[in-house]
Amino acid sequence: MGIQEQYRIEAAELLSSGAVKLVIGYGQGSTPDRRRPVFIRSAEESKQLLLDSYCVANLSGYLVPEGLLSDGKSVGVFLKPDGIRSVNILTAEAQVNPDQVVIFGFDIENGNTKPLSGRKAIDFAPLIESMKSTGLSPELQHEADRLEQMSASERFEYWKAQFAKCIKCYACRQVCPMCYCRRCIVDVNQPQWVNTSSHTLGNFEWNIVRAFHLAGRCVACGGCDRACPVNIPLRLINHRMSKEALDAFDHFAGESADQKPVLATFRQDDPETFIL
Amino acid sequence: MTRILLHDRLDDCLAAWRSSGFRVLAPTRRDDLTRFDEVQGAAEMALDIIMPERTIKDHFFLQTEPMIRYRIKKQEIDTEEMLPPEQKRLFFGVRPCDASGLAIDDQLFGWDYKDAYWFQRRENSVIVTIACTKADDFCMCTSVQLSPDSTKGSDVMLHPLKDGRGWQVVTLTDRGKSLVDGIASILQEDAAAAAPTASVPVKFDVDKVASWLADPASFESHLWKEVSQRCIGCGSCTFLCPTCHCFDIQDEGDTYSGIRRKNWDSCSFAMFTMHTSGHNPRNTQSTRWRQRIMHKFNYYRGKFDVNSCSGCGRCTRQCPVDMGITETLQVISNLPR
Repeated sequence: MGIQEQYRIEAAELLSSGAVKLVIGYGQGSTPDRRRPVFIRSAEESKQLLLDSYCVANLSGYLVPEGLLSDGKSVGVFLKPDGIRSVNILTAEAQVNPDQVVIFGFDIENGNTKPLSGRKAIDFAPLIESMKSTGLSPELQHEADRLEQMSASERFEYWKAQFAKCIKCYACRQVCPMCYCRRCIVDVNQPQWVNTSSHTLGNFEWNIVRAFHLAGRCVACGGCDRACPVNIPLRLINHRMSKEALDAFDHFAGESADQKPVLATFRQDDPETFIL
Repeated sequence: MTRILLHDRLDDCLAAWRSSGFRVLAPTRRDDLTRFDEVQGAAEMALDIIMPERTIKDHFFLQTEPMIRYRIKKQEIDTEEMLPPEQKRLFFGVRPCDASGLAIDDQLFGWDYKDAYWFQRRENSVIVTIACTKADDFCMCTSVQLSPDSTKGSDVMLHPLKDGRGWQVVTLTDRGKSLVDGIASILQEDAAAAAPTASVPVKFDVDKVASWLADPASFESHLWKEVSQRCIGCGSCTFLCPTCHCFDIQDEGDTYSGIRRKNWDSCSFAMFTMHTSGHNPRNTQSTRWRQRIMHKFNYYRGKFDVNSCSGCGRCTRQCPVDMGITETLQVISNLPR
């Protein structure tokens, strides 16, 4: 039996027994190679669940909306390792109760899906730990290296051209499991802290504010990058922040549910090289 | 016999138009994005794409538009109105859906108050549209009573030739005629046939949709929640839409001076309807999605007798969670009578 069939049966069983009230997974999208989030509420509906190499979106963001978990009932969710790391962060930041999150774990390797054994986020701890040294995919590494090799002014010009495309649709924010603030700083308007205008300054403000807020929290799911309707390579920015957190503080986002946020903690042995 | 513009004479046309004072904009692929941008020659154009990712609307209704420069003095306030520079622009290679979008928005921007920013740019622009000979799964112009060769909003229509050498040239307005007169010597008379236009299947019955929407009982339908469940509440569908036109007015500056700006806004955002009290009449994504559909196919239609949608399909094509107008309207269209 393939993993898709196996997970359909398990989803149906969990829903029938009432162990979960909802399963968030992937279903057929509007074209053959598109998958979309689906919300399965009955055993019957679990036939809609698909699992294949097109299932790349990190669905953990759907756990956060106000009220979903407040009745104490559990929710099933299809997650790749990046999504499991998101659940760890959401747990550490008191946004979800991990006991209410039943994980249908899977990963994609060479175009094939494989199941990951475990049900609760903590079951995947050894796997997540082993990912710490994995690094980027070759193509992403190539892009990251290309940026590193630029001079500061070349890099500034590169991002200026990229950010000039930004339309402030906030798809990057809305798709991101880590952007759960009920009122984002850019929506705080008494006073308006961040310009709403999509001019050069406004676009820099937005994209840099977001990068800072994701420092040490981004799990590199690539959701923002895929969601961006104007193709800004957002994961390169977030990757740079993650690298900083890893190099300076040995911090791998979402490594465990009791991990402290890197920008909200202090250790005696933290490097202080930035202090003049 | 019709007038033909050959591909290899396009640069001559551009030179003629540019020397008569036009800034020429065409679809380009720059910085990993397809959009209308200024071009010097035909080689810079991306005419092989179905449509650019961004709409032509961007050049008429700016993402951020400075309106007034103000300075607050002790006893008075100095203001200076800021209007777009007067400049002749030629948009080459527009798709019929994008051109139609301009005509649809003309009604809104010229309704109770004539929007100076929109109309100054409209009056200074000539739209040269190329009929579509290919479409993708998301195109839906035929579902909103338009077509791959709709002339709405265009000044000149180019029909690609079957043999691929160029386009048949059809002038539609006085503005288009005078533009084509300026390149008369570059065109030639030819009997070459036009390629067939793209086949775009009709995906929903828009009249049926409109009558369902107009029924007051539909406002509270459970359908809204079901179709919008996965909506993440970003504004990409509205900002990529050739007809969405909502904006917010913001003052940017310090205590004593600044610029009043008109910025794009989106009904997808919770902030769009947030009251000062903190109460939000559209406090869920499903109510915001309902507003978007109602506005386009009920309220706008009721007021201006036209759908506020030209069927480009960008809302679905570029949606991060594979939603969009098409699916919702299909669901409504398929409801039992």
